[in-house]
Amino acid sequence: MALLEVENLEIAVSTQRNLLPVVQGVSFAVDENETLGIVGESGCGKSLTSLAIMGLLGTSPVRITGGSIHFDGMNLLALSEGERRAIMGNRMAMIFQEPMTSLNPVYRIGDQIVENLRQHQNLSHAAARDRSVELLNLVRIPDPSERIDSFPHQMSGGQRQRVMIAMALSCDPKLLIADEPTTALDVTVQKEVLDLMADLQSRMGTAIVLISHDLGVIAETCDKVAVMYRGKIAEAASTADLFAELLHPYTRGLLNSIPVVDRDVEWLEAIPGRVPTLEETLTGCAFQPRCELATELCACEAPQTTQFKPGHSVQCHFAGQDRS
Amino acid sequence: MNTLIFLRDAFAGRKLATAGFLWLCLIVVAAIIAPLVAPFDPLEIDPVGRLTEPGWPNLFGTDHFGRDTFSRAIYGARMTVIIGVGSVLVALFCGGLIGMISAYFTRLGHFLMRAVDVLMAFPALLMALVLITLLERSVVNTVLVIGIVYATTTARILFGMTLKLKGETFIDAAVCSGAGNSSILFRHILPNLLSPLLVQASFIFAFAQLQAAALDFLGLGLPPEVPSWGNMLSEERIYITRAPWLLIYPGMLIVVSVFSMNLVGDALRDSIDPRFKDDIAGV
Amino acid sequence: MTDPLLRLVDLKTHFQTKGAGLFGEKKVLKAVDGVSFDIAQGEVLGLVGESGCGKSTVGRTLTHLEKTTSGQAFFEGREFLSMTPHKFRPLRREIQMIFQDPFASLNPRLKIEQTLGEPLFIHGLCKTWNEARSKIAATLERVGMDPKIMSRHPHEFSGGQRQRIGIARVMILQPKLVIADEAVSALDVSIQAQVLNLIKKLQRDSGMSMLFISHDLGVVRHISDRVAVMLAGKIVEIGDKHQIFEAPQHEYTRKLLNSIPRIAIGKEA
Repeated sequence: MALLEVENLEIAVSTQRNLLPVVQGVSFAVDENETLGIVGESGCGKSLTSLAIMGLLGTSPVRITGGSIHFDGMNLLALSEGERRAIMGNRMAMIFQEPMTSLNPVYRIGDQIVENLRQHQNLSHAAARDRSVELLNLVRIPDPSERIDSFPHQMSGGQRQRVMIAMALSCDPKLLIADEPTTALDVTVQKEVLDLMADLQSRMGTAIVLISHDLGVIAETCDKVAVMYRGKIAEAASTADLFAELLHPYTRGLLNSIPVVDRDVEWLEAIPGRVPTLEETLTGCAFQPRCELATELCACEAPQTTQFKPGHSVQCHFAGQDRS
Repeated sequence: MNTLIFLRDAFAGRKLATAGFLWLCLIVVAAIIAPLVAPFDPLEIDPVGRLTEPGWPNLFGTDHFGRDTFSRAIYGARMTVIIGVGSVLVALFCGGLIGMISAYFTRLGHFLMRAVDVLMAFPALLMALVLITLLERSVVNTVLVIGIVYATTTARILFGMTLKLKGETFIDAAVCSGAGNSSILFRHILPNLLSPLLVQASFIFAFAQLQAAALDFLGLGLPPEVPSWGNMLSEERIYITRAPWLLIYPGMLIVVSVFSMNLVGDALRDSIDPRFKDDIAGV
Repeated sequence: MTDPLLRLVDLKTHFQTKGAGLFGEKKVLKAVDGVSFDIAQGEVLGLVGESGCGKSTVGRTLTHLEKTTSGQAFFEGREFLSMTPHKFRPLRREIQMIFQDPFASLNPRLKIEQTLGEPLFIHGLCKTWNEARSKIAATLERVGMDPKIMSRHPHEFSGGQRQRIGIARVMILQPKLVIADEAVSALDVSIQAQVLNLIKKLQRDSGMSMLFISHDLGVVRHISDRVAVMLAGKIVEIGDKHQIFEAPQHEYTRKLLNSIPRIAIGKEA
């Protein structure tokens, strides 16, 4: 069994009138020392999936309505509150997109790391502080013994994100979930942070789930990829396999929409239309209204996930086919 | 149309607030059709039938002049509405204008807001007393005085909101389109302030009643011949042991009405733009 | 040689920051510190740089949204940064801006037709609402929106649609220079492509000049003719698009280009 196994995860949001599905039938697995990338645009459900794994959906109107999540052999959905808290920040950790709002602005960063350490490990304050300096050094913060007493607003965005990574890795977790960790950062800083994460992974063997809308980031950092659209996984494969042959028309459309820095293109091949809103219920394939390969079949029958090639699954009636 | 939808959503599922709203509607209706529903002339004296207990035909009894309390209560609703609406208009107009202009023209705003700060240092009642002693007792002056008292907090609140709105991108866009200052203030900023203004209005409506009642109680508010609930309390307070109903009825009316207005204000505040929720701290 | 449409000469925009404590030193934030460039008629200049480099401030200074500290800017030969708001107003028709945030750039209280009609009336391009409505309808179609939407409010539309409406507001005046301040940065990738194509087409069809401000080098490459790279308030490199992207001279430009994650397509496992 893999370190993290998500099977047929279903998440729904309850409105005044009914229960609207936001994530349907999502399945994936991540092993140690492996990075899984979940890529998709807004409304695809990738962030909700990560929050569900961490157990952060809480008592909001958004709830897990089906499926299972197994981490290190444990059924996460069956854990009690206390058991869950023992794992979070300890064996499983998360970093978020906006480092300014995920760090408490009124506490020094050293105190925040120490708090996390002492929560899960039996360390004295002095020992925890020493460990914090070590961690700051690990994430390449210059002058860690001085910076440990800085406040978040005294640091740059990239540095704050590194502090977040230090906090997340403080208890040597087996799994790190990173939700758009570099989206709010400049491209040069992004490179540094991604390099750091890769380096730490090779040293500590952490499994990483990286969520992003940026296909470039995913391509360079992930071993496997799952492409999400409107709550379902449209296509999943190893990174190399995916970019060798993109099977789902959405994945292809997404790639073609990106203006690349290396060549000139007269017009971008944009995907027409827009993602249907949550309230718009659909029959058939969710991507059908925007798909150039769509036929009547697509409008009536939602495609099931098929293993088009070993290790490369896709949810499309016309997977791999070109525009005729 | 938008306002109706806004009102409907604000009161959905809030029974108490809806009840309050209906009570206020009842008061307004009573105020308008007072001459038609009041069984007696509120000013008619009946020296023989003084201090009679509530019953028939005097539903709320009679006061020390023999006037029918029920009819006075109905006519008193007029004063409630006039004071409420009048103070709101004065406060929103003066305070709103000062607040908006101070936020928009920041250098002028520094002076104006400091002046408002100074005025706000005075407790509302104290300021009302000072102003009313300078002017003679009349309905108009009472409305004016209470309105000015609440214009200060309104100015502060709208100052904060206008500042927030000033920084919004669509204001930049309007500037880039070539819109002038008055256009931006009245076409772009003001319509976005209508919801918070409505909430502010309901709070002022409530507090104005209390101020008016307090002033009346002290003998400094409305002229004594005008029937108002506050005046009724003021005049009859020495009869509290002999004829407590003379105080209970107007007192209850004030309490219920102020409570209703507060409920309505709360309901409206909870439905407005979340950006402004923190700015409406009540009055 | 014809005069450039826009010429910036040593533009400087400095901000005073509050000092720390009561007697702290007041620091000066040199957001824009000596920027000069030209934009010719019909040309698109991409202004690229990371956060805090001052590129947005350049755009905002040109539309009088920020006060310049020193330096000059000439539009068709006339210096306009020192103009009073009153004198600058007619120029506002020629110099327009597309904003980044589609959710904040439209007044939520006004119908689309009011938002789009306002600039028409301000600049005297229409005298009656009938005239205005037909112009609005035509412009909405140009940006790929159904003219019927003009009686609706912004909240009924998605980010990409709102950005099209924002572009319509700009195009309805037929400006000569459009400043696009991160115009597609807040949009999803697939919508971004649609809007980028739209902007490119509108620019080509109308022959207007553009100052395209963005942090995304791929986007800048797609739409610009020339590119200027900014760092810490100054332009470190400026030149033809191909030269910048294929043979960058400045080390910062090279660092930027190297940092961009690349997708290698077609490599078998």
